[in-house]
Amino acid sequence: MPRIAGIDVPNDKQVWVALTYIHGIGPCLSRQILKEAQIGDAVRARELTDDELSRINSILDRNYVIEGQLRRQTNQNISRLKEIICYRGLRHRRGLPVRGQCTQSNARTRKGPRKTVAGKKGVKEMRG
Amino acid sequence: MGRSLKKGPFVDEKLFGKVMKQNDQGIREPIKTWARRCTIVPEFVGFTFMVHNGKMFHKVYVSEDMVGHKLGEFSPTRTFRGHSGGRRGK
Repeated sequence: MPRIAGIDVPNDKQVWVALTYIHGIGPCLSRQILKEAQIGDAVRARELTDDELSRINSILDRNYVIEGQLRRQTNQNISRLKEIICYRGLRHRRGLPVRGQCTQSNARTRKGPRKTVAGKKGVKEMRG
Repeated sequence: MGRSLKKGPFVDEKLFGKVMKQNDQGIREPIKTWARRCTIVPEFVGFTFMVHNGKMFHKVYVSEDMVGHKLGEFSPTRTFRGHSGGRRGK
């Protein structure tokens, strides 16, 4: 199995798909990289020669922020927002949507699994 | 959507004037302001603003990291005190 960008070992998929297994590389970037390295899209990842691998690696090194470094960067940006106590930072802290979405219903991606409140029925009943 | 670069950042002119005036005189007193929509520019760093949230003024000390944000982002307008059913704490 070829090793690209350190830990990543994409399998015997086509190269452009295999590259998207790297955090920070999507289909679009993947194609651009292959174009720059002058490798055909349809080649399988295991068929890559050492020379081609090193070409991809050097392009990744030079131009793109990927994997651990990218994750660190993202976390830094978020913790910056948290530190300066701005609105977005507060939303991050509370685990609520940051970009102005509604939270009355849904928003489950940010809020996580539903927490059912015991004894809570209808609003009407609570008032009566 | 972001603001057009051509226009540059929006800065409330009256507020900016007050900051410059304080800068000239070398004093740093909290500035009361309603201009929540005003972008924080590098000149504001080190100043304290009292940013209105519709009810009261929040003290906001501007640090370097805050440049590029709006003043309103640091003065929350809503209070959430928990839901009515939340008796778990008792």
